[in-house]
Amino acid sequence: MDRIPIILDCDTGVDDAIAIMLINKIKKFDLKCITTVAGNVEVEKTTRNTLRVLQLIDAGVPVYKGADRPMFRKQITAEEVHGHDGLGGIDLPLSSYDVKNLPAWDAIYQEAVRCDGSLEIITIGPLTNLGMVFTKYCNFKNLIKRIVVMGGSATSGNVTPAAEFNIYADPEAADIVFNSGVPVFMCGLDVTNQAYYTAQELEKLGKIGNQPAKFFRDVLQGVLSYSLQFGCPGVSLHDPMTVLYAADDSIFETHHVWIRVETKGQLTIGKTVTDFSSDKKYPNNAYIVTNLQRDAFQEHVYTLMSEYS
Amino acid sequence: MKQIPVILDGDPGHDDAIAWVLANSSPKLKILACTSVCGNQTIEKTTYNALRIMALINLKVPFAMGRPRPLVGDPIVAPNVHGQTGLDGPKLPEPAIVPLSIGSVELIAKIIEESDEPVTIISTGPLTNVGAFLLLYPHLKPRIARISMMGGGISTGNWTPAAEFNILVDPEAADIVFRSGVPIIMSGLDVTLKALVFPEDFERIRTLKNPVAIVVAEWLDFFYNFHRKLGYAGAPVHDAVAVTALIHPEILSSKDLFVQVETTGDYCRGMTIADRLGVLGQRANAKVITGINRKAFVDVLIKAASNYGKDNNG
Repeated sequence: MDRIPIILDCDTGVDDAIAIMLINKIKKFDLKCITTVAGNVEVEKTTRNTLRVLQLIDAGVPVYKGADRPMFRKQITAEEVHGHDGLGGIDLPLSSYDVKNLPAWDAIYQEAVRCDGSLEIITIGPLTNLGMVFTKYCNFKNLIKRIVVMGGSATSGNVTPAAEFNIYADPEAADIVFNSGVPVFMCGLDVTNQAYYTAQELEKLGKIGNQPAKFFRDVLQGVLSYSLQFGCPGVSLHDPMTVLYAADDSIFETHHVWIRVETKGQLTIGKTVTDFSSDKKYPNNAYIVTNLQRDAFQEHVYTLMSEYS
Repeated sequence: MKQIPVILDGDPGHDDAIAWVLANSSPKLKILACTSVCGNQTIEKTTYNALRIMALINLKVPFAMGRPRPLVGDPIVAPNVHGQTGLDGPKLPEPAIVPLSIGSVELIAKIIEESDEPVTIISTGPLTNVGAFLLLYPHLKPRIARISMMGGGISTGNWTPAAEFNILVDPEAADIVFRSGVPIIMSGLDVTLKALVFPEDFERIRTLKNPVAIVVAEWLDFFYNFHRKLGYAGAPVHDAVAVTALIHPEILSSKDLFVQVETTGDYCRGMTIADRLGVLGQRANAKVITGINRKAFVDVLIKAASNYGKDNNG
């Protein structure tokens, strides 16, 4: 089987950390590099966290540091969810700060050129880095196959009633991506909030017993209690689900729709406006993932995490 | 039976017309007045249509005409949905009454002031009249029992991907209404897209054979003809849900939510945003109707149309 060349763009972040552990074990993917961006915490921290997770799982994936702020706005962070350090206070060692000396957007572009149209990109943070690539390289849109985005929501937001964090953090970058002409597959809150783990289910996963599985369980505890406080049944694995969707969409429901990002509305900045059923029937430019089979999702996660020794 | 005193405010419009037919036939409602608003068509046309509907159903209550424009923006009309007259299709009787010399907002204030008990407003068009009333007569707020309105949608729009027509036409008025603190029953697209009347249902209404039923069936024919081309399985009789919410709440399901109206934005002007995950921690300001027993809804409409066969007044 030809492996799919892939780049993961992230703002690590507790559920980003898990996404990295999973993507490392997906055999179908040829993970070219990981790029980092400011989001859940500052980019310096998301970069260090990324390196920490890679060290934990002993994966030698190149890491490129990306944007330290949104394209046009001030940075917002989500420390109340991810903890001050971005990893919920879990202390993971970092023995060497091995970050490549090239901005993320140039690294992404160069990899796209090398892959000659077959590269896929998964973003699980704000879309600033991709916004920068599209802005710098006009032919980039012809060089990549698709973009799978964790972000947005067709129904309701989590930062505001209308907007999800990753899109709200850099709405202009997000709109550049949705308007790029490249097929965008949106894994928004509509589906990622279905990809949750209850406290019991997390315990079960931790019992796999290897270090990455224990880290999986421990790093989510803070977000879990935060989520339960808001009346959720468990902790939503937004980013890991998005990685698994990119690998295998068979347990998901996807619809071809029109999506653009509101960048001006007083109450709706960062909303991914989705044309499900308007009389206008705007031309489809994106795919929205709306449903998943939660059992099959957890099974897939369990299998991948069991591969660590 | 104790009746609910109501004011009918709308921009007829085929589904407004059916909503008024339904309201007028219900022994549970006491219609105190009707007002027109610009929306589906210009204010002249919706006013003429309102008066023709009132003549058809023999509804003789005070009537006043609304303003020719939304509170802030320019009018938007929907000839593609309702035709050039705003109520194309069957021939209707000419108006039996003339509008009062006062405007719609003044009439609403007068009726509410004079009523012994709080009045319910049934709004089936843009919220221009209701918003203006709240703005101009804030002291009468406690005299409004509730506003049962058709408009918005917390999951989708129709005129744009984000906005439903009635809210999009006058988002500033809708904003006033949702901030007002007056209890709101919101029948938006979440429910009204499920409030479908199928072609076989039209025939059940037509065979009632009374003059009102025949007109209702022909309105449905016209209204469905537009929606069929968009892929609808039936005619969504949006506005009738706002009346049903008062007379047959048992066939509807709802959620109490905090709803706001977006008045700006490239894509979201006129959108109703519900805080479903509770990120703002605000108290609910609207009962958002989300579900309907479609068959029971059709039966309610058929019963209403059949009432017109019994006497003159429904």
